[in-house]
Amino acid sequence: MEQVWFTAASWIGVALMASLISIRTGISVALVEIFLGMIAGNFLGFHSAPWIDVLASFGSMMLTFLAGAEIDPASFRKHLKPSLVIGSVSFLFPFLGAWLFTYYVNGWDWQAAQIAGIALSTTSVAVVYAVMVETGLNETDVGKLILAACFVTDLGTVLALGVLFANFNRWMLVFVLATCLALWMLPRLSRWMFRTWGGRVSEPEVKFIFLVLCFLGALAVTANSEAVLPAYLFGLVVAGVLVQDKVLMRRMRTITFTLLTPFFFIKAGALISLPALAAGAALIALLLAVKIVSKVIGVWPLCRVFQMPLRESNYTTLLMSTGLTFGSISALYGLTRGIITQDQYSILVTVVIASAVVPTFIAQTWFEPQIVVPYEPEFYGTAEHLLHMPEEYQL
Amino acid sequence: MFQKILLAYDGSEGAEKALDAALELARVHQGKVWALAVEENLPHITATVGEFQESKEKANEKFGKLLHAARSRAEKAGVELKTLLRAGHPAKTIINVAREGEFDVILVGHSGLSGVWAAFLGTTAEKVSRHAPCSVLIVR
Repeated sequence: MEQVWFTAASWIGVALMASLISIRTGISVALVEIFLGMIAGNFLGFHSAPWIDVLASFGSMMLTFLAGAEIDPASFRKHLKPSLVIGSVSFLFPFLGAWLFTYYVNGWDWQAAQIAGIALSTTSVAVVYAVMVETGLNETDVGKLILAACFVTDLGTVLALGVLFANFNRWMLVFVLATCLALWMLPRLSRWMFRTWGGRVSEPEVKFIFLVLCFLGALAVTANSEAVLPAYLFGLVVAGVLVQDKVLMRRMRTITFTLLTPFFFIKAGALISLPALAAGAALIALLLAVKIVSKVIGVWPLCRVFQMPLRESNYTTLLMSTGLTFGSISALYGLTRGIITQDQYSILVTVVIASAVVPTFIAQTWFEPQIVVPYEPEFYGTAEHLLHMPEEYQL
Repeated sequence: MFQKILLAYDGSEGAEKALDAALELARVHQGKVWALAVEENLPHITATVGEFQESKEKANEKFGKLLHAARSRAEKAGVELKTLLRAGHPAKTIINVAREGEFDVILVGHSGLSGVWAAFLGTTAEKVSRHAPCSVLIVR
């Protein structure tokens, strides 16, 4: 038992250090956790344990749930057709591109190449959103369309992860039926649950969400699918309910970012092999190029078809080439299931991290559209300020 | 001459001095002051949107209070002061806003950076003065 607490103390110590570095430098805490995890894994002998695996898996499930719950249903409905088209292509092109490239050019086996395709197909909604806030693009129709399309891309990623490696047996049937039934009932059930039992010290609404996630996750894993699939779908269907309860969302984030995601990201980093990175540097650059080029081939023409101006089209395409959370989850899934080797995992995670940084840098440096943020904000200090900027003032 | 005055404001000692100078300038030229606060160092690469939103919310709260205090000071001085809050790179944002709003002058407080750091990093004031589309007054 003593050993568990020493291990816990060291992992939480790394998580704390990551938070402090993140605050000081402005670099994302997830990236710092991965980086420190890599140092700890390669030089300090950090390795996972069953209880760490549980926390890390729960962390990945919560991350996908929260990511799904961040969709704006009204905006998605409004931009349904273009977001479905752009989002699907944004998933499909890099998925096929990275899959075929790693299979035919690198000689990875079929399933390992599929993991590469899935890990590099993603778009980071969080990165896209954060970058767009600076230009005010998130407030415009174009921005909302891009965000809706990103959710479609991520849906493609979790569907591929949940379906490609699953067993199509009676357990899969049970999982599909139970998930469909749950997704149909959960919006109403959640609304009732939050309204009737919410706001208590014992946090029944949080436990309710955990229960649904764990139960559907258990069914998914039994069918040899992946627990993040129902988690993302659950997030999507209750987004409209959760958007009205910002306190609950904040509590969920607090729990997730304090106790769960540090274990996921530090574990993701600890499993990166530095010698593999050194040996695979050229492949990392090539795979990053494959991801960006395939996004450009797929997304850029569609942006033009949907009459986005040239600069915005370039910007959108680059932003949709970003990735982080879902890419890391996919790569870690491949490693823990024995589909990819540690060397392949190290390369994939590094490409995913590079895809969070490189396209963002290029987009902001050379393709940033003109600022469209309205003047004279009236409200300070609330989330509403971010989402509903007041009317523009005359200069 | 200086009817539209843009004040880069972050609540620092230099910015407070720049605010005083902006109010004085507005009085002399019967102009209007716009105080611009730029939220830098917001995390770009986050795991979820909510994580970014919370950071932004905290920055909004901090800068909102600062801008509110600046507006109160301007009211006491009898000068109209409007406020702007933007996220981004400070120098780039100040220059973009000055260009968009066709401001006559930008006031920036001196950061206090000196020696090696200033030479190595360059200050916001220095960058603004180099690329601004209008006059720039660096207040010490």
